Amino acid sequence: MNTWQRFNNSYFFYSFKRDPVAIASFTIFIFLVGISFLAPVVAPFNPYDTSTIDIMDSELPPNWMEEGDDRFILGTDIQGRDLLSTMLYGLRTSVIIGIGAVLFQAFLGIIVGLTAGYLGGKIDAFLMRIADIQFSIPYLIVAIIASAVFQIAFGVDRFEALALPLLVIIIGISEWPKYARTVRASVLGERNKEYVEAARVIGLNRRLIMYRHILPNTMTPVLVISTIQVAQAVMSEAALSFLGLGMPITKPSLGSLINAGFEYVFSGSWWITLFPGILLVLFTLVIILFGDWLRDVMNPKLYKG
Amino acid sequence: MKKIFILGIAALMLFSFGMTANAKTLKLALDADPKTMDIQEQLSGGMLQFSHWVFDPLVRWAQDMSFEPRLATKWERIDDLTMRFHLRKGVKFHSGNPFTAKDIVFTMNRFRKSADFKGLFEPFGETKIVDDYTVDITTKKPYALLLNMATYIFPLDSKFYTGTDDQGKPKDAVLKVGYSFAKMTLPSGTGAFKCTFREHGVKMVMERNADYWDKKSPGNVSKIILTPIKEEATRVAALLAGDVDFITPVPPQDFQRIQKDKKVDLMTYTGGRIITVQMNQKRLEPLRNKKVRQAIVYAVNNFGISKKIMKGTATPAGQMSPKGYYGYKETLAPRYNLRKAKKLMKEAGYADGFTATMIAPNNRYVNDEKIAEAFCAMLSKIKINVSLKTMPKAQYWDEFDRQPADFQMIGWHSDTEDSGNFYEFLSMTPNKETGYGQYNSGNYSNKAVDVLTLACQTETNLVTRTQMLQEIEQMIYDDAGYVPFHWQNHSYGVKKGVKAGPIINTLNFPYLGDLVIE
Amino acid sequence: MFAFIIRRIIQAVIVMLVISFIGFSVQHSIGDPVRDMVGERVSEAEREALRDKLGLNDPFLTQYFRFVKNACYGDLGISYFHNKPTMHVILRKAPATIELIFATTIIILLITFPVGVYSAINPNSWFSRVVMGVSTIGVAVPVFLTAIILIYIFGVELQWLPAFGRGDTVNIWGWETGFLTKDGLLHLILPSISLASIMLPLYIRLIRSEMMEVLETEYIKFAWAKGLNRYRVWLLHAFKNTLLPVITVIGVEIGILFAFTLLTETVFQWQGMGFMFLEAVERADTALIVAYLVIVGVMFVVINTLVDVIYGFVNPMVRITGSK
Repeated sequence: MNTWQRFNNSYFFYSFKRDPVAIASFTIFIFLVGISFLAPVVAPFNPYDTSTIDIMDSELPPNWMEEGDDRFILGTDIQGRDLLSTMLYGLRTSVIIGIGAVLFQAFLGIIVGLTAGYLGGKIDAFLMRIADIQFSIPYLIVAIIASAVFQIAFGVDRFEALALPLLVIIIGISEWPKYARTVRASVLGERNKEYVEAARVIGLNRRLIMYRHILPNTMTPVLVISTIQVAQAVMSEAALSFLGLGMPITKPSLGSLINAGFEYVFSGSWWITLFPGILLVLFTLVIILFGDWLRDVMNPKLYKG
Repeated sequence: MKKIFILGIAALMLFSFGMTANAKTLKLALDADPKTMDIQEQLSGGMLQFSHWVFDPLVRWAQDMSFEPRLATKWERIDDLTMRFHLRKGVKFHSGNPFTAKDIVFTMNRFRKSADFKGLFEPFGETKIVDDYTVDITTKKPYALLLNMATYIFPLDSKFYTGTDDQGKPKDAVLKVGYSFAKMTLPSGTGAFKCTFREHGVKMVMERNADYWDKKSPGNVSKIILTPIKEEATRVAALLAGDVDFITPVPPQDFQRIQKDKKVDLMTYTGGRIITVQMNQKRLEPLRNKKVRQAIVYAVNNFGISKKIMKGTATPAGQMSPKGYYGYKETLAPRYNLRKAKKLMKEAGYADGFTATMIAPNNRYVNDEKIAEAFCAMLSKIKINVSLKTMPKAQYWDEFDRQPADFQMIGWHSDTEDSGNFYEFLSMTPNKETGYGQYNSGNYSNKAVDVLTLACQTETNLVTRTQMLQEIEQMIYDDAGYVPFHWQNHSYGVKKGVKAGPIINTLNFPYLGDLVIE
Repeated sequence: MFAFIIRRIIQAVIVMLVISFIGFSVQHSIGDPVRDMVGERVSEAEREALRDKLGLNDPFLTQYFRFVKNACYGDLGISYFHNKPTMHVILRKAPATIELIFATTIIILLITFPVGVYSAINPNSWFSRVVMGVSTIGVAVPVFLTAIILIYIFGVELQWLPAFGRGDTVNIWGWETGFLTKDGLLHLILPSISLASIMLPLYIRLIRSEMMEVLETEYIKFAWAKGLNRYRVWLLHAFKNTLLPVITVIGVEIGILFAFTLLTETVFQWQGMGFMFLEAVERADTALIVAYLVIVGVMFVVINTLVDVIYGFVNPMVRITGSK
């Protein structure tokens, strides 16, 4: 039986096929991620190429409205950029930040959690104290401090190019303890199970046991919290944008677009707020709903906190 | 028991209704409240606004930019260095102390202790008392702008601010950090309003001064409650929701909403603050080329920015001096012409453009970040690729001094309401010792501009001086020493019935003492 | 228990040292506090003199040790903006934030417990599904957008509720409270709803899944078998056992709630600690920033300790003396 057949016959896939919410949210998620990465192909304009935009086109309503312009399906923003294209490129940025930050925090958290949980003793105490200390400060505040430092440290000319990786690191750094704790908790559960004992008795070295035997068994809770964390990373980026610490205005993410929309709530230009808002809500909503389903199916005893 | 309670409530309501019927309270929301109670501690627009409410200057600018006598009733030139001021009689400070010539001397001397005002009052010499209601204010050299500077002289209550306080510290100390008497104590001025409550950053209450000397003032506001509301959208919401009666500034994107609303009015007034970008010739080779600088100026669509980003509440500028200033020259119009810009780039040998960096503040000027972004987009049309970084003003000015970028944004409002101030700070060759060109981060340098600007300072013949100023303006224009955008307007949102029209002016000092509410 | 408390006190001290060290090492990156103190036109020489006077030009370690030494006497420095001891400023702003978080928690509990329990008992009813779906939108909308939309609907269009600030407050033993005036309570509604919106789905899900799990356990099945009244089973036996995990989560999530007060307070011009902190960052009031970080750090060590102690009381199986 090959992998595909095994997957096809699994309980996992069976329950996926029977849950319309899971199917719908997964499909939309894949569609959004796909379309955002195809943005350079599908978007009518390239919002990063500023030489094509004209200030006189600014704040045009969607094209079905009276003053709309056929070139701009969903209208334009204050700089005269096509809103649809900007949203697609922004979504791509948000997806990269969301997934990148989660990979980064998972990477940090898994290493720390695994080491702490398996080795125990002083190392455990030390690593967990660090996690505690970071937990003592709400993550948004950590992110504010971190981005203030990074922004200055890297100077003006490289800021635009470095903003994206920096945000990934900042958001990653501020959330890794969650993974560390989750992984550590499940490692503690696995450590004394018979198969680990067995591996130890055979004389396998510690590293091998840690990474080849225990790690795979802790992946379920990691996967489950990861979905929520992606949504949360996207929202964190939006929050940082609101505080002026997000992506540079010339390369907006979905979050910075929403932040721009915040200023336009009272203006007549409702589309500047509404469309990016709907896209962000849709994107995070499908991730969360899919995550819910994942949790129900895998039903791991999550470490709470 | 219940009846008494209801009666009590009814009486209370009647009482409070009765109160509101004849007493007009103005609920005012600004972006920030006055930073200190010591009006000589900080020189800023916000502090000067506050000074006009609680204090009175010797003279003030009227709406038509003439001088309006306030605490000085008359003035006359005695000689090249001296101006005699006749003071108003029968004026009392809020503390009850009478206002006399002694207070002027005290005020003038205290300016010298203030880091912020020291520089501005540098040209001044000794202040001499002639009698209780006459003083001679002198300058070290002939100084054309003495009367302009008199608008900064808000007499302090010398008796109130002399001696030692209960902590044993001198009351007249001007301190930036920590406790000082003048900073923490509700001030005693001569103004239409008296501060009665202040919690910094939260709320300030000012009540009408019952003994105010200006009996002709039509103002009928008996109480001002000032709340700072930092977030622009919230400030607008507070006005639309009826929680406040008067807001400033109003973000341009909300103009339409306020104009549409029947319960509120939008007021704007032309301002004198020029918004510019400086091109650093020391940092970037191509910017040393006059043609490149001109090309950049030609590439900037000032009209587009004023119309779209500023929503029509800015006047597109081709020069620094706004209309009405002596340096203003009608012919120096904005130069937007993309074709010409491209041609100039070609002539300069930069047809393929170059890359550059830019910094701009994001909370200092109206829509500063958006203007900077639009500027970069416009430059990309002549193939100059600009990487932009914006930051809050707390970080910005340090960076500005450090000059880490090729393009840097700065707005400037002349302290003296005179063109010379622009050139001294923005156009003269930077010189650490004299302090000239302190904000010329483009390092633009033209010997002729330097010489003429200095000459203007002592020239008291108005006609010659005007010619000289206009000549300077023309030279900088021809050199394309910087990129002008526009003069930004002041904006006020008021509840219907608040007659803000007559009390606003180009200086952004709403004279609330004269405000009438229907 | 004693060892546990000692351990936590040591932890608090380490947190303070680490945080203040980090705070000090980054303060130059945040900006120059002198810039906000003087007008824009003041010469470099004047600013330099002022910086000297404030000790901002001293070597980093000198400044840091001076801070630690003063902190031992309970002095966390003077705010450059407020011109008052930072401790004083923060304590003055604390009631606003605490009341906001308190009101938010009440809203969260009032909504989530009934809904969570109901949807655990009837997991497939349309009501449960709709509520779960709608509440999810709460997390998916950035809180500052939720806030401004609430202001727009209830403040500007309907004019039912005030748009900003705390309204009238009453001072009771130095605690400025908005709970005792009608105006103060009205001002609380919108900020606490927008803050609660981010937490509702989390708690509903949590209570629902905990409750569902408990309903599957042997002793509940036994209770059914005994023929007990069903409300008694649901509310007394089952519900009681869902409380424990909820308490732990509240302890952790209060940190997130606290972080999001930064945004809510800014939008509503709510004069609390979060608003104060962001203003301090904007003004580069470094003394206040460092003091804030230190106090918040300690506060969370205390909260976590309290949660652990409560947890220990509720669930005697947890040995709080042991390492975590």
